[in-house]
Amino acid sequence: MTSLIATLVLLTLIKSTPLIYAALGGVISERSGVINIGLEGMMATGAFTAVCTSYATHSTILALVCGVAAGALVGFVLAIAATRFKVDQIVAGTGLNLVCAGGAAYGLVLLFNQPGASVQVDALGSRYWMLIVLAFAAAVALQLLLYSTPWGLRVRACGENPRAVAAAGLDPLALRTYAVTISGALAGLGGAFLSIGELNIYSDGMTAGRGFIALAAVIFGRWNPLGATAAALVFGLFEALQYVLQGRIPWLPADAMQALPYVAALIALAGITGKVRPPLSDGVPYER
Amino acid sequence: MKRFTRAIGGPLGAILLLVVLMSLAMIVAGTSPIDGFTALFGGALGGVNQIGETLVATSALLFPALGIALAFRGGLFNIGAEGQLLMGALFAGAAGAQLNVPGPIGIVALLLLGALGGGFWGAIAGWMKARFGANEIIATLMLNFVAAYVALDLVSGPWRGPLATGAETAWLDPRYWLPTILPHTRLSLGIVVALAIAVALHWVFTRSVFGYDLRAAGEAPEAARRSGINIERLTWISLTLSGAIAGVGGASIVAGELHRFNTQLSPGYGFTAIAVALVGDLQPLWICVAAFGFGILESGGLAMQASAQVPKDAIHVIEGLIILVLAARRYVSTRTEAATS
Repeated sequence: MTSLIATLVLLTLIKSTPLIYAALGGVISERSGVINIGLEGMMATGAFTAVCTSYATHSTILALVCGVAAGALVGFVLAIAATRFKVDQIVAGTGLNLVCAGGAAYGLVLLFNQPGASVQVDALGSRYWMLIVLAFAAAVALQLLLYSTPWGLRVRACGENPRAVAAAGLDPLALRTYAVTISGALAGLGGAFLSIGELNIYSDGMTAGRGFIALAAVIFGRWNPLGATAAALVFGLFEALQYVLQGRIPWLPADAMQALPYVAALIALAGITGKVRPPLSDGVPYER
Repeated sequence: MKRFTRAIGGPLGAILLLVVLMSLAMIVAGTSPIDGFTALFGGALGGVNQIGETLVATSALLFPALGIALAFRGGLFNIGAEGQLLMGALFAGAAGAQLNVPGPIGIVALLLLGALGGGFWGAIAGWMKARFGANEIIATLMLNFVAAYVALDLVSGPWRGPLATGAETAWLDPRYWLPTILPHTRLSLGIVVALAIAVALHWVFTRSVFGYDLRAAGEAPEAARRSGINIERLTWISLTLSGAIAGVGGASIVAGELHRFNTQLSPGYGFTAIAVALVGDLQPLWICVAAFGFGILESGGLAMQASAQVPKDAIHVIEGLIILVLAARRYVSTRTEAATS
């Protein structure tokens, strides 16, 4: 029993980590007023880039850095689309998700000459715990950044009332660009953890909706870094439960158990609503 | 909804963009665009069989795209067409294996079961949105995964066909197969059903009170509410209908081409259909044209991969880029309007 609980705790931490990074990315983006539907694609990009870098250089540290950078790049594209071109953020995010997932699938065939999955590459192995610790550190850091620094106040103001930010002599578009780029970097790190932290390959569809579960965590966590982290831990627990319970309870259908984290996110979404409010200008393009 | 339609430029721009991007993807893969496009169009339109397969893909994309357009018009971003299509197909496949009625009645029953399955799946998201205000984007996407796992569980266990080799139901009795309309191909009557739904939706969107309410709710929800439209009711009705249309598409694949339910029956039609709906400007008749265009890509993509060594996933990159770039064009065109007026 004790070992079972220990397994569950460890698995929960492992399964929550990518969700925490992506959810923190979602928080900073939405706090600045940009809905980041593209988290899923940014995770896939980070995961795929990390595997490619590790394959080419055998350096897992460099792989992490490149995964983060690639995620940030996709974030920057969404940021530019949302700030300079005032696109519909949901449409653009959906498009980016298709580009990233398709791009990784295309890249798999070109680079590894096989569809579906990459070859095995050097991974973090037992050092993955550093990224778990870093995830919690990042949550605390983001909480402090958003609520205890002038820059954080400005970012939050962008999400509530960008005109006021502009009236104060600051550029809301630049602030949103920074925030969404950071968002992409965090999601990229979450993706890299999936591919070279938890595993040592990239396979098509490996992000499996985690970007959207992270968005649910953002809402459940009330657009607050620590709240979103707690929500990500809950969703991670449900993902871990499916492994721990598998085979132990005979009447539980094995495949349907895999739907557990998604069902948990659905219930959380329905349960929390009405009690929370998104940033006022979340998703609204700012026109100078 | 206006913000979605306005986000998308004309279909001609889309085609031009597509050719340029596609050429790039071919060059990156080490193939000349001439060889690549020859393979693509040869594979999609080079013979009766190829045209048949292209129209099969067109039909598979048209149903979910029409459903998506209905939801988008009401301001609901339904990205769950994939799961709704799967549930429709599952209902049709599971019931179809047990059916014992005369052929034509059975076929109609299968399509209605598809509508029921897809509609049920859309209704869950609609109910969550209407009753609890849950974000429909996240809810519909989560439901895709739930649908996939539920379907997998059911057809690997209780609903699995006695002779099935993989996760699939038993074959339908040939009485319930949708008739083939193009000899020597797999093209079934399903595409006619899809076109009929498109025409019906065109009427609904342009002439009916429901279509008007939908547009009002999508473009100006507050004004719509004040004018007496019941937004909550409209929300669950439109997501249910949206899912039902995608579900008929699933049933059409089961009854028309596969003749059984298989968990692998959709290679992401529900997601490609988002691009189809947006490129078709959310207008049912344009969506038919867009679905044919994307049908060419879907069926030609396989040939392009086989004979020109361009990974077919390039097509998904391009679909995404089209959505992204057309979303940005809104700004460019409003700028031009401002400059010329």
